[in-house]
Amino acid sequence: MKYVFLFALVLTLQITVAQDYKFGKISKEELEEKQHQLEPNANAAILYSSQKISFNFEQDKGFVQYNEIHQRIKIYNKEGYEYATKKVRLYDESSDTKDALTGFKAYTYNLVEGDIDDTKLSKDGIFEEKTSSYWRQTKFTMPNIKDGSIIEFRYTIVSPRLAIEDIPFQELIPINKIDFRVETPEYFRYSTLLNSKASYYPKLNESQYYKNVSFSYRKLPEPGMRGTSKSELVSFKRDVQFNVVESNSVNIPSLVDEIYVDNLSNYQARLIMELSSIQYPDTPYENLSTTWEVVTKTIYESSYFGDQLNKTGYFGDDLSTATAGATNPEEQIYNVFNFVKTKVKWNGIHSYYTDLGVRQAYKQGVGNVADINLILIAMLRDAGLDANPVLVSTKDNGIPVFPTRNGFNYVICAVNSGQSIILLDASKSFTSLNVLPVKVLNWRGRLVRNDGSSDWIDLSVQKASKEVISLNIKLNTDLSATGKIRNQYTDYKALEYRNSFESFSQDDLIKDIESKNGNLLVSNIEVSDMKTPVKPVQVSYEYELDDALEEIGENYYFSPLLFLKLKESPFKLQTRNYPIDLNFPTSRKYMVNILLPEGFEVESLPANEKLQYNNTEGEFTYLIKENGAMLQLVITLDLNNTLILPPNYEQFKQFFELLVNKQAEKIILRKV
Amino acid sequence: MKLIILLVLSSLINTQIAAQNENLLSVNSIPLELKIKSNAVVRFDDVHIEISDFDRFVYTNTRIITVFNKEGDYKLGAYQHYDENINIQALEARIYNSFGKEIKKFRKNDFKDVSAVPGGTLYSDSRVKYLDYTPINYPYTLVFETQVIYNSTAFIPGWKPIEGYYTSTEKATYKITNTSGIPIKIKTSNFEDYPIKEISDNHYQAENLSSIVPEAFSPNFDSYAPMLKVALTEFEMEGVKGVNNTWEDFGLWMNNSLISDTQELPPTVKTTIKQLTKNANSDVEKAKIVYEFMQNKTRYISVQVGIGGWKPMNAEDVDRLAYGDCKALTNYTQALLKEVGVPSYYTIIYGDDKLIDIDKDFSATQGNHAILCIPNNDEYIWLECTSKTNPFGYNANFTDDRDALIITPEGGRIVRTKMYSASENTQKIDADLVLDENGTISGAIQIQSRGSQYGEHEGLQNRTVKEQELYYKNDFWSDLNNLEIQKMNFTNNKDSIVFIEDVEVEISKYGSKAGNRLLFQPNVFNKITVTPPRYKTRKLPFVIERGYTKEETYQITFSNALSIEAMKEPVSIQNKFGSYSLNISITNNIITYKRELVLNKGSYSNEDYQEFRDFCLSIKKHDNSKIVFISKT
Repeated sequence: MKYVFLFALVLTLQITVAQDYKFGKISKEELEEKQHQLEPNANAAILYSSQKISFNFEQDKGFVQYNEIHQRIKIYNKEGYEYATKKVRLYDESSDTKDALTGFKAYTYNLVEGDIDDTKLSKDGIFEEKTSSYWRQTKFTMPNIKDGSIIEFRYTIVSPRLAIEDIPFQELIPINKIDFRVETPEYFRYSTLLNSKASYYPKLNESQYYKNVSFSYRKLPEPGMRGTSKSELVSFKRDVQFNVVESNSVNIPSLVDEIYVDNLSNYQARLIMELSSIQYPDTPYENLSTTWEVVTKTIYESSYFGDQLNKTGYFGDDLSTATAGATNPEEQIYNVFNFVKTKVKWNGIHSYYTDLGVRQAYKQGVGNVADINLILIAMLRDAGLDANPVLVSTKDNGIPVFPTRNGFNYVICAVNSGQSIILLDASKSFTSLNVLPVKVLNWRGRLVRNDGSSDWIDLSVQKASKEVISLNIKLNTDLSATGKIRNQYTDYKALEYRNSFESFSQDDLIKDIESKNGNLLVSNIEVSDMKTPVKPVQVSYEYELDDALEEIGENYYFSPLLFLKLKESPFKLQTRNYPIDLNFPTSRKYMVNILLPEGFEVESLPANEKLQYNNTEGEFTYLIKENGAMLQLVITLDLNNTLILPPNYEQFKQFFELLVNKQAEKIILRKV
Repeated sequence: MKLIILLVLSSLINTQIAAQNENLLSVNSIPLELKIKSNAVVRFDDVHIEISDFDRFVYTNTRIITVFNKEGDYKLGAYQHYDENINIQALEARIYNSFGKEIKKFRKNDFKDVSAVPGGTLYSDSRVKYLDYTPINYPYTLVFETQVIYNSTAFIPGWKPIEGYYTSTEKATYKITNTSGIPIKIKTSNFEDYPIKEISDNHYQAENLSSIVPEAFSPNFDSYAPMLKVALTEFEMEGVKGVNNTWEDFGLWMNNSLISDTQELPPTVKTTIKQLTKNANSDVEKAKIVYEFMQNKTRYISVQVGIGGWKPMNAEDVDRLAYGDCKALTNYTQALLKEVGVPSYYTIIYGDDKLIDIDKDFSATQGNHAILCIPNNDEYIWLECTSKTNPFGYNANFTDDRDALIITPEGGRIVRTKMYSASENTQKIDADLVLDENGTISGAIQIQSRGSQYGEHEGLQNRTVKEQELYYKNDFWSDLNNLEIQKMNFTNNKDSIVFIEDVEVEISKYGSKAGNRLLFQPNVFNKITVTPPRYKTRKLPFVIERGYTKEETYQITFSNALSIEAMKEPVSIQNKFGSYSLNISITNNIITYKRELVLNKGSYSNEDYQEFRDFCLSIKKHDNSKIVFISKT
């Protein structure tokens, strides 16, 4: 039976494939289609996508890139209308590096009483906008969109740049057919790489051919020949080898979106082409990037990077003032790190190249990530420490699996304290020794030494960040609870606390805690070391909770973590497509002391329990002891592995559900 | 020539600064009471508006503000919008450290210049120049100076001496010089509650205004903070001259100058719409057909160009493109209705989930949205034309219960839009459940929503299955651990405006074990989990903008292996905020749980807040009450 079904499916698909993809050749069948054949829930689908990239030689300009796009999109319902609006990003830094949009043509097709009706996109639906000093965008929205409409558009981006933008082979809607072809002349070498984390791989074919290309350029007069200012036009023809990469793919499934995914484009099927070398006839070979060693070296040799590290004069005596009194390397590191943090503030820009340059950034007190961390490295080196830059890709830049310069977008500092390597990022106020912004914790970074040699270093956090909660509960005969709570947060838990509550006044903090339970009154809150990131954050307060004991019938019920219990498991979907990244290992411990009200005794206590996830990757323990009128409870939750892979997800979810239920269990009391 | 004017202007500004008290640049001189609960203090803000003609005024602003922390950075106010009719003549900023020493200076060209396209808008021709400054230390002080020539007088900047929450004001002045010969209108509100005085004609001064801290359930900021509005009685809106003595003539101007010439329709659609409505028996029936036709044909796309974003796109263009913004779609619907002989009024309103009125006592360019009004005997039907799914005449949660300006051929008029009452806004949950001896419950639930509650639930039907499931797990029933959704079915009845969700669930170990007891909260599906926060002293009044009625009836059949040890007595509470009742009855092994919560619409004083909070706390307590079962095995 299943076979028959499959067979039928294949037949219909073949019918679909036998369609005309020429611009404007829309069929009634396409317009009549009510839902996508393979993904019936899709709101829209790309029926056809064609992209051709080629380089043509033009006089006075050299090789010019032509990027021709043609797409036909079916819109099934109103949730798919967003696909009727498109944005085309164009480079626009200066007049000679400006992209041009040409050959623009777009139509909407509808079925009206059985006939195909087309509406052309006119000028009033096209908008241009300058979005930053480097980019502008052309936006257009299609006319006459209805459920079932098909839109088709084509345009060419003409660019003097040699860089090729990433080629998507997958979108959030299904794609029925893609024809892709890129032809590059032999002078430019591109490394081609497919995203290896994607669940779909397009098949690529590579080939070469020769084409006779006409070259012409103006030859400038020889130097020293004053008076003969006329330039001479030189023309010749030559066979040029073109390297071709092609893909003709059908039925590309949509990219599934999911919560808790750090960066969805990490999982998108796409082709990355990075210009790796340039070699014109009779000129030296210019290597841009091929391996990580080369990429790193290229970055290192830039005047915005390596040279910046060699400048030292600008900080003058500030260094000796900062390190005065430090008795060991660790103190020296800490002092310099703190000094740079207060001296230069981050302007919000990620980069491994300096913006103003270290000297100006230092003077103005503002800089990008590279300005700040290269100053830090230079100062640490000047203090005699072994400090080096580490190139990093932040989470939103994706995981650096391909050796390209765009593979990195950030730089931090690694310094040897004599005992261990300490990672530092001085661009954010609450970072500390080995506590980096979470966005930086992205697999691995490339450490570059003074001589330009480089190696990978692991960025994943080994040490568990701790949260210790000690909770004293005095239960009263009026059914209320009073007592004191102390919380301690270390490392990344402290960073999270500092980031969340930085601008909270004492009143705001009290309000935040009280919001966990309406009957709660919090007082005497104290937070210490909030602004000393190298130390743990300590928070303590007193509380009064009305109706902590619930009287039902003869008995009294209460939950020993009061308002501090985890109320719900954050993991609710039954299955997952992508891993969950918990960023850093954590260890949480509750130490609870409960004093029973006078005249009450225990009717029943929850059972002691130990739960595990994937052996010891996650561990939860619950230990309760009765000691006269006192109860002592210790609960621990350790999460040692930070990456939960999809096959382990179900077990992880169950682990969480069980522990949430366990810590919500009630202690039952009765009157003596 | 232009250069000389510029020079004069900028030297004028410089003398002004020199005249400033040097003290204002140093943090030390800020009065203590202005630092309390403030992220920033406006040290000095001087606005001068010189109106020289019906189509021209010059706006000059000198502003000194001290910022204490990161949150305060948002209060800098160092930006200026501009477009074809708004020309920035001078723009300059200086930053001073806490001792009052200048540390940075920005000239006009140092400001970032970008398109001012708001979120949700595809394109707008407005632009903005703003200061992109990274603070090196807190506190710091900014001095900002600008001079702008407006060739459009439809929107004259008013005055808010307290600019927003957590911002205090040391001194602010606002002055209008009117040499145009055209009368201006000024309306001030809440000035009497604050230290603000009128020094001379149209010249106001505010001193030492403490910051305001937001509180839960408080009414709109503008309803209790001081505010001044201003308008010219004859004005220019980008080439169109307008008259504005009353709402009547402002409306007449809108009708004649902005709307009437935009309603021509192509012949084909005229024929179509007449054909569609030919068998309709009443105006309402016709209007319903027209509304559905428009909903099916068009989609919402916001493009803001020309005439201050106030003139609708031609109905012809809407017909051809099949999209438009609120003005365009409202105007198109009106043109279609006119074609079939049904009168309707283009309506200007504030679209917001909060209830914001068009100020009926002050005619001027107000509002942020357009809808359509159809007179129907003594009432009005309101049409939201930007929605493809709204039922006919449904306007809850965005344009309900507020003053709006309708544009009739005789002129403008302020009318009140439909109010949805507590008895109309219902959410009814019925459930038939089975509880086993392990505490697992399963069964079928039906949720029926009407009135404003319909709007809260109806959007669910348009989401993907995965999102629908997550909605129940993360939002509606986020307190239910181990919830699994086994079946979902939605029925949207647009005629009677009811949305019905039929859901089947299983919640394993919902009841928690304690020894041989099982604790069970019979209110499974609608517990109040969040209650209003506690304030030592509640300062602001509070409002319940929309009432509702929430009713639950659950039948719970429990396992024969369980017997009831203890359960809750009935509850009934009644007060001015509403009522709450709870009743549990048992026959054999079936529990019938009934709960009803009515919350009334109302405005209350700050003194009533504690009582309201106590009401919510007691509801929460009763909602959490449990039944204790003993396991027989």
